[in-house]
Amino acid sequence: MTDHPRQTRDDTSAVKGYIHSIETMGTVDDGGIRFVLFMQGCAMRCVFCHNPDTWLRLGREVSVDEVMKEILDYKPFFEASGGGVTVSGGEPLLQHRFVRALFEACGRHGLHRALDTAGYCKHGDFESVLGCTDLLLFSIKVVDEEKHVRLTGVTNHVILANLRLAAKRGMEIVVRYVLIPAINDSDDDLHDVAALVASLEGGTVRADILPYDRMGVAKWRQLGLDCALEGVPEPTPDDIARARRIFHQHGVPLRTD
Amino acid sequence: MVDSFSDYYWDFKGTVWRDRIDVRDFILSNYRPYEGDGSFLVGPTRRTKALWEKCLALLAEERRRGGVYAINAKTVAGITSHPPGYIDRDLEIIVGLQTDEPLKRAINPWGGIRMVEMACREYGVDLEPRVCETFHKYRRTHNEGVFAVYTDEMRALRRCGVITGLPDAYGRGRIIGDYRRIPLYGVDRLIQEKRSDLSSPELTTITVDTIRLREEVHDQILALEELKEMARSYGYDISRPARSAREAFQWLYFGYLGAIKQQNGAAMSLGRTSTFLDIYLERDLRRGAITEEEAQELVDDFVIKLRMARQLRTRAYDELFAGDPLWVTESIGGMALDGRPLVTKTSFRVLQTLYNLGPAPEPNLTVLWSRDLPRPFREFACRVSCDTSSIQYENDDIMRPIFGDDYAIACCVSAMRVGKEMQFFGARSNLPKALLLTLNGGLDEISGAKVAPEFYRAGEGPLEFEPVWDAFTRMLGWLAGKYVDTMNVIHYMHDKYAYESLEMALHDTHVGRFMAFGIAGLSVLADSLSAIKYAKVTPRFDSRGIATEFDVEGDFPKFGNNDDRVDSLARDSVVLFHEKLKEHPAYRDARHTLSILTITSNVVYGKMTGSTPDGRKRGEPFAPGANPMHGRDTHGAVASLASVAKIPYEHAMDGISYTFSITPKALGKTPGEAVSNLAGLIDGYFAKGGHHMNVNVFRRETLLDAMEHPEKYPQLTIRVSGYAVNFVRLTREQQEEVLARTIFER
Repeated sequence: MTDHPRQTRDDTSAVKGYIHSIETMGTVDDGGIRFVLFMQGCAMRCVFCHNPDTWLRLGREVSVDEVMKEILDYKPFFEASGGGVTVSGGEPLLQHRFVRALFEACGRHGLHRALDTAGYCKHGDFESVLGCTDLLLFSIKVVDEEKHVRLTGVTNHVILANLRLAAKRGMEIVVRYVLIPAINDSDDDLHDVAALVASLEGGTVRADILPYDRMGVAKWRQLGLDCALEGVPEPTPDDIARARRIFHQHGVPLRTD
Repeated sequence: MVDSFSDYYWDFKGTVWRDRIDVRDFILSNYRPYEGDGSFLVGPTRRTKALWEKCLALLAEERRRGGVYAINAKTVAGITSHPPGYIDRDLEIIVGLQTDEPLKRAINPWGGIRMVEMACREYGVDLEPRVCETFHKYRRTHNEGVFAVYTDEMRALRRCGVITGLPDAYGRGRIIGDYRRIPLYGVDRLIQEKRSDLSSPELTTITVDTIRLREEVHDQILALEELKEMARSYGYDISRPARSAREAFQWLYFGYLGAIKQQNGAAMSLGRTSTFLDIYLERDLRRGAITEEEAQELVDDFVIKLRMARQLRTRAYDELFAGDPLWVTESIGGMALDGRPLVTKTSFRVLQTLYNLGPAPEPNLTVLWSRDLPRPFREFACRVSCDTSSIQYENDDIMRPIFGDDYAIACCVSAMRVGKEMQFFGARSNLPKALLLTLNGGLDEISGAKVAPEFYRAGEGPLEFEPVWDAFTRMLGWLAGKYVDTMNVIHYMHDKYAYESLEMALHDTHVGRFMAFGIAGLSVLADSLSAIKYAKVTPRFDSRGIATEFDVEGDFPKFGNNDDRVDSLARDSVVLFHEKLKEHPAYRDARHTLSILTITSNVVYGKMTGSTPDGRKRGEPFAPGANPMHGRDTHGAVASLASVAKIPYEHAMDGISYTFSITPKALGKTPGEAVSNLAGLIDGYFAKGGHHMNVNVFRRETLLDAMEHPEKYPQLTIRVSGYAVNFVRLTREQQEEVLARTIFER
């Protein structure tokens, strides 16, 4: 899909999306105070999912215009902190038309735009949003394909190809890796992901190690789901230090360096 | 004569301040803005540590004794009532205590003898019979004066809690003496100026007003004479100006000490002293008389003294104002009208005391925040906030155009020009209760008593918004009149029987006055109105025919989510109440102001209020200040702040208090990010017109642990509502309310 020159503002401002919730003070997504829009719906079923309540495509229907009105109200906070807008999920790219329209609108107001995605979608859909994204927060669950299927229910061919595509476009990328003890924190797993990041061509790429947080387990219970990670602990500071070392061995800069 | 004029004012510039009392001109002519960072700061000296350790032991003993270390129940407090006292004479470099022993409390019956009697009873000491006799038989107190003239209506409103917490049984406070005048001019010059005011034409034309003022100025002069005597008992002659930084600190502190000896006011704030004192410190540093260690040592010692200040209060008072506060509020920073930041190295040194001595609720450190403050100072303050939760921030950019650049904060959020304006403190009116009175035709939903007129009466079936709102506005109009009347009575009597002669001696003779009204429960009110308007609210009546419960069907917008449908109800209620108050003339031509501030009384006001249409149950606490109701602000901190920022400061010029609590993790991934996000958050809020923000950075688990093991957390400080408290000194109920508040953690 390419940009359509005759597409007017009104066309996109009415685009609707399904959202799960809004957090007006996101601070964990890199760069200042951020308006975080959690989109509803995801095609993956990660066993360690933090927000399983976003899987189904329910949620509240909003238009780009409605969301923009609220976002613009917070401009002083973004300006003062160097923040902006983050679209997260769920998987935002399932609603790529909405995200694209929203990001274009943000762009017109000079707002910084971050996309928090697992990259599991068609190349074309992905690319259509990249053109109006300033920062890509790209989540890699695990590199080993077999493990990936086990953990998320899907293969990671498309995901890895999308990541390479984004790097080629010269984007600023933070590769996020949720570190889960005994699930994806073996030395092999860590070398794999660090090597993957190191191999990306183009772009400004950093990695961010996110220690697994048991907060999600409660949500699983609330939803009446069996959480496969019931007995899994949070990583220790030593686990995190080991992971950091491995990324550094591959010459990968970390966000918190 | 050994002391010449140049001896005191050596190296000081400017002339206006020499010719007349004008501290602001002195500051602007002599201070040096500091735009650097905190790298020059030093830790505590061995002497400071030794002295503070003695204090920590005394403070632990005070806690062990149930909150009061000792009481002198024989001597009525006054400027010269008690002989000199010391913590450790050899270690102290600034001296002076309220009584002959640290933490020993004096009795001060001028505000009300009953409060003193009750406090003595509660703490198990015998009040000197001669004192009782004097104040019951020969000398009326403020409290008796007020109750001599209260009308039945006023008593009923007070009893049911729709207007309450009023300073009718205790000292009103909220007056800031310009303590800087003492070091700058010496007491003799101040007396001389007051004498010349007495012979001015304005004061020699005799009317009821000038008779009162002449007597007041006469008392002011006596207070200044007494202050000299008090200082002499410590071996100092403060009739002359200070010659050195050490003298400047000592002279200024004597002024403050005299004030807190004379008055047991609710809030006894210090003013805006750090940049003033910086001029003396920098002069001594320049001439090599002191080192940075010695400069910091003076600041530390001064702050130790402020942390040891105490007043005797009753347990009921503690429900309103928990944690034994004095509101030794010190306002730091801000911008000068000429565009220079009023930040000096001493602004940093004062904040540094939170590291050198550890966190503490007093003095109540208040940063006057402007988007134009130097970045290193802003970041330093935010770092101290993240580390200690001991600072509050107030928006200099909206206060400066109204109050100029030499105002200070009294208590929590009340701005006034130092030495030029004072306020008549008026606690607050419980507006959710006023709404319930409206729905019940003027009947108190708790007692069933008739306390207000009937403008409306809820019937069977769901409430309709328009008639309720219409009746509510009439109720507010009626209530405003009663509120102003009540305040007029209180302050007439306070002037008459408990006049603050020393604090007022440190003001210009002709002062501007504010009458500071207040609102409690704003978010409960807004949510209740919103529920009536946007959901279906059906009252349930008890056997008395009073609506005591409400069935709410459907959802409704809640204050704190940046939703105009409800935020406008909060805003309109504030504007309406302020306008209604202004219709009734205030005592001594005071200007009506309004605050959205509860201190910790949100708990006790909640107790006195039945179930409300927003779903809050009878007796449950309100949110503090202007905060959204606990847990209802679900869109994150920024949306919450955006809602509060819609309350217009021009209609709530006595301050709009917002208390913000966040976990360290939610503020940023690294300490550096947390600091810059916090600065951004304050900037954003203030750019949107927000007025005040208490900043707490803590984990819920820390507070829970402190509840179980208070001995581990003697200095754990949290900000509650315009001031800070030692968490472990709150009652269990107040601690639980703090934990129920929204703590942003995502």
